[in-house]
Amino acid sequence: MIKTEKILHLKSSRGRKVRVVREHYLRERVPCCSCLCQAACDNDGKVLPGDLTHYVVPDVGVVVDYLEILEFRELQGVVFTQTACQAVQHSKGRRQYNRLRNLLKDPRHDCVLFANEFQEYSYCPREKGESQEQWQTRCVYSAAVWYHNHLAGMMDIVMITEDRDAIAQYGSLNAGVYVISVQALQEKESEASQKEYSEHLPAEVLEAGIKSGRYIKGTLNISKHRPQNEASIMTDGLSNKSTDLSRGVLVDGGKNRNRAVHGDVVVVELLPKSEWRGKVTALTEGQGEEKGGEENESQPMPTGRVVGILQRNWRDYVVTFPPRDGTQSQSRNSQRILAVPWDRRIPKIRISTQQADALQDHRVVVRIDSWESTSLYPNGHSVRVLGPAGELETEVQTILIENGIHVAPFSDAQLREMPVNSPEKPWTIDPAQAAERRDLRESHLVFSIDPRGCEDVDDTLSVRSLPGGKLLELGVHIADVTHFVTEGSLTDLEARLRATTYYLADRRYDMLPAVLSADLCSLLGGVDRYAMSVMWELDAHTLAVNKVWYGRTIIRSSYQLHYELAQALLNGEEAEVPELSELGPEEKDAKLAELTQALEMLTHVARQLRAQRDRGGALELEGVEVRAQLDEQRNITALVPRQPLEVHETVAECMIYANHWVARKIQETFPHQALLRRHPPPRQEFFSQLVDSAKARGFAIDTRTNKALADSLDQAMDPQDPLVNRLLRMMATAAMSQALYFSTGLESQDQFYHYGLALDRYTHFTSPIRRYADIVVHRLLTAAIDLEREAGLGKTLANNKELEEMAQHINNKNMAAQRAQKSSTALFQCLYFKERDPQTDPSCVADAVIYSIRNNGILVFVPEYGVKGPVYMKNRDGQVVAAGPDGSCEWQSGSVRQHSDHISTTSSCGTSTFRLFDHITVRIAVHSAPFHGDSLNLEVVSNKPHRSPEPQQTPSQGRSQLVQEVVRLAEEASQQAQEKKAAQRPKLSKEEREFRQSKTPNLYSLLEEVRELALMDMDTAAQVCATTA
Amino acid sequence: MAGLELLSDQGYRLDGRKATELRKVQARMGVFAQADGSAYLEQGNTKALAVVYGPHEMRGSRSRARHDRAVINCQYSMATFSTAERKRRPHGDRKSTEMSLHLKQTFEAAVMTQLYPRSQIDIYVKILQSDGGNYSVCVNAATLAVIDAGIPMRDYVCACTVGFVDETPLADLCYAEESGGVSSLALALLAPWRTDRSAADGRQAPSGPLRGSDRSCHDSL
Repeated sequence: MIKTEKILHLKSSRGRKVRVVREHYLRERVPCCSCLCQAACDNDGKVLPGDLTHYVVPDVGVVVDYLEILEFRELQGVVFTQTACQAVQHSKGRRQYNRLRNLLKDPRHDCVLFANEFQEYSYCPREKGESQEQWQTRCVYSAAVWYHNHLAGMMDIVMITEDRDAIAQYGSLNAGVYVISVQALQEKESEASQKEYSEHLPAEVLEAGIKSGRYIKGTLNISKHRPQNEASIMTDGLSNKSTDLSRGVLVDGGKNRNRAVHGDVVVVELLPKSEWRGKVTALTEGQGEEKGGEENESQPMPTGRVVGILQRNWRDYVVTFPPRDGTQSQSRNSQRILAVPWDRRIPKIRISTQQADALQDHRVVVRIDSWESTSLYPNGHSVRVLGPAGELETEVQTILIENGIHVAPFSDAQLREMPVNSPEKPWTIDPAQAAERRDLRESHLVFSIDPRGCEDVDDTLSVRSLPGGKLLELGVHIADVTHFVTEGSLTDLEARLRATTYYLADRRYDMLPAVLSADLCSLLGGVDRYAMSVMWELDAHTLAVNKVWYGRTIIRSSYQLHYELAQALLNGEEAEVPELSELGPEEKDAKLAELTQALEMLTHVARQLRAQRDRGGALELEGVEVRAQLDEQRNITALVPRQPLEVHETVAECMIYANHWVARKIQETFPHQALLRRHPPPRQEFFSQLVDSAKARGFAIDTRTNKALADSLDQAMDPQDPLVNRLLRMMATAAMSQALYFSTGLESQDQFYHYGLALDRYTHFTSPIRRYADIVVHRLLTAAIDLEREAGLGKTLANNKELEEMAQHINNKNMAAQRAQKSSTALFQCLYFKERDPQTDPSCVADAVIYSIRNNGILVFVPEYGVKGPVYMKNRDGQVVAAGPDGSCEWQSGSVRQHSDHISTTSSCGTSTFRLFDHITVRIAVHSAPFHGDSLNLEVVSNKPHRSPEPQQTPSQGRSQLVQEVVRLAEEASQQAQEKKAAQRPKLSKEEREFRQSKTPNLYSLLEEVRELALMDMDTAAQVCATTA
Repeated sequence: MAGLELLSDQGYRLDGRKATELRKVQARMGVFAQADGSAYLEQGNTKALAVVYGPHEMRGSRSRARHDRAVINCQYSMATFSTAERKRRPHGDRKSTEMSLHLKQTFEAAVMTQLYPRSQIDIYVKILQSDGGNYSVCVNAATLAVIDAGIPMRDYVCACTVGFVDETPLADLCYAEESGGVSSLALALLAPWRTDRSAADGRQAPSGPLRGSDRSCHDSL
């Protein structure tokens, strides 16, 4: 050891300058921490590998300013000098220094510390007049030289510095030691981490830009299929001056999207035409896999970049915390986790949490707080934990939240508003009401036809011929919900918020409390109920309307029929009507005859009405995924495709008729503030797929009017394959625009037209129990009746603007409800197939029909499960599907060619062709995506139709079975969990004894059991509802 | 100075020593001819001059004389230029008086005073440059001076300070370490390792670390 002295000038505590002499001991042997060491240094701990091209010795300035870069694990062989470390400690403070220390300690980072100032030959004392920076650089350089010499020249040493003088001075001093500038690195860095995005422009500039036409305002819509890269701006009607922009503006890539999130109102600037791009049309497998293929793009369309955001549209997002792999570990008490949203269109959200371990693989509701331009991802915070991913309950909650549906149980205050109907205190008719209402209990035969087991009967029918035989009287009686739900009451507000009853695959969330929806408002058989009635006097032959009567009534439904029973009665089959079972045979026959006659009359009327509408051009459409709006009456049953019973149509037709007439009434009375429903004619270009597909099968589809479309769809019937017609109708449905509620004050009268039903005015009146729009219409109708009786308006009605806002709200909620139902169906499909091994289970192999041809695959429809999905003809390895002589398919290398009506693959086995509307066999497997919910993956097994071993199940059975199966499995799982709990109990008893706790049947566990029982009952009840609904 | 890292992760101290390494020691004996014994000792940058007079007859009040042994008279002082800032009072302050007392007790135990009844031995120690471990340097220098004077001792007295940082004992603290908030312990021992004198000061209650420090002191002596 050699003793030297350092002279330091320090400041004393009194602020005087003090000259201090410090000893400084140097030694020869300072560990070099390299495995190339020849001198047998005492290297313990981390050692630099010897197989690198060079070691990096960063200069003091580099370490101080760019420590973050040196933290990249990609950088290997970094030698930190003691000089640099001390400089960090002095100039950057303890936090930064600790970071450096942790870096040096972390075995995953390939970097070491060299105590250069204690090494005899690398130490250089500071010279007189030498600045600290110069001296430090000299120290680092001398350390670099020592390293080179110490390793006997086997390793090149690169010193990085910011100091240009140093490069000039030392650059060529030694052979194996290179001194390079940090410049290149710096440029890269400024691109990579300093600013991820360009700043948004200030609001004035945006405003001015929009006015001058330089910028375009619109809502950002991120593509579901390529959330990484593709997004488009749906422009508002006003800016559609140029035809180019009618298709919207494409925003390509994350950089151009500039921190906008799906749904934000943004301002875009168009890029020069040379940078315009087209949408990608090829099918993509999964997420994240982006093929560089430009050839698959469609025509270039206007492309722009986001320059500002006018309005954020952030909502609650469901995210999944990723499993920990240790990469994201930071200090213990504040961990920043990148959570993956369930919705693929939402970017990952960085969340600072202390519970990262506990939240692994859980779904959590989060909110976005901010998104700085320097950050690649937005920052957020968690709000609520839903539960572990993959569990049924969690997934259902996820679906609800992602669609913005909030269904808390009804509050006590809301329930207190409800009338009471219990065995002790039965609900009775109020005499005052009885005086006001028309009493139909004795005069009319009222009955209801609903699905089996239906609880909420909101419509009943009556029909009779009036004396004289020339006239018929048709009546539609709807539950009088508005009598119980007064405007502005808590229940009303809640119902307005919900806007509709939500039907999921296995459960439903009612819009109104159960006492109303299942009891007092439900027009059950044999009890007195308030109703809102529309009665027509029709000409018995021509069905011309003679007189219409609207009003509040009291009814007593005589028969609560279900569809199958009604159909059986109509067909003259022997059927047991439960209401008549206790009567004597004679009376029974008489009653039965009366009922059957009424049904027949009703059917006759409905047929006529239908024919009238058909002449107008009403469409009959098919919805599987996209639920047909036109399926007015029973759009609950869209999940279970309708069985073709005529009585369905009969009921539906009466309801449509009632809706139509009510619409007429309220529109005539309140021309500017009536809530109607319109179905705008679809855009012709959306029909192109339908027309092309039909052409492939030799059918011509005329889409000019709804009448022409309806006729040509009826024509397009393949006698061999009824599915073709169904698929064509599905495509037609997909091309339709959504039917919407609107306020009459906002549109001109020619816009009121309902395209699908071919009616000039239409509204929703017949299901007030499950739709809020009907409640509004009921109120309007009541007001109209009051006005007619000159009673004067009780209270002012909602004006046009309020009504329009409400219509918008209801429209949004309806769409959300549809999406939620769709997702829950998909969820159950996935759960169903998850339990099955796709390789062995026969139910995973099914028949499918090709309904669309794409670049690298086909879209198929599996009728058995109602599943639509893509089938790839070419996989990621570039192999294509090749069909053998027996039809079985396997992957082979080859090529794919797309034609207008077929797709063919060429491989060593020959060419196989898949034509539109061909039946093929597919295997259904679950594609697991833990962050986003699972999806189904279809793979072609054979190009021949599938022959199932047992006779084909009807689709409806398949669906309902599927739901039941999944619910059963979930129940089994919960039972198993309970059994496990029970098994654990005896183990605990020892401790319980020790701590003097009461034995297991204590009060707490008793209450807990009661609670569980209650839950189970509700579950099963909900299940019954769901399956029957 | 709390920010100073007294012991780095690589095991180096501020001045480049390892935990158990002592500072560089340089000594000269017989630097003054007029005194009976004298020695100059450097331990790192701490430099001390020790001078011994005697044994000679009692000076001043004879009442302090003992009939059975010699009296040892010690004086510790620091040069005004010994520290970075000029010292106002070279001796006679509390600290110096305490040091003098410690030295006196140490050497009364070490020197075979019973050989020189009714006489007096004077030991003067002066710190020329102070850089930590003043007491132990003084003891060591005085020992050398006593040896130079030819006064018989039971054994040589050796002294060293030890600090305790991060569960590691540091031998022979320098000034920067002493002032850096370490608990430190000064030990003076006779060769057969009978502890003679110890003075501990520091922030840590020196029960647990003491054992370790003690051990370290033993090792370094």
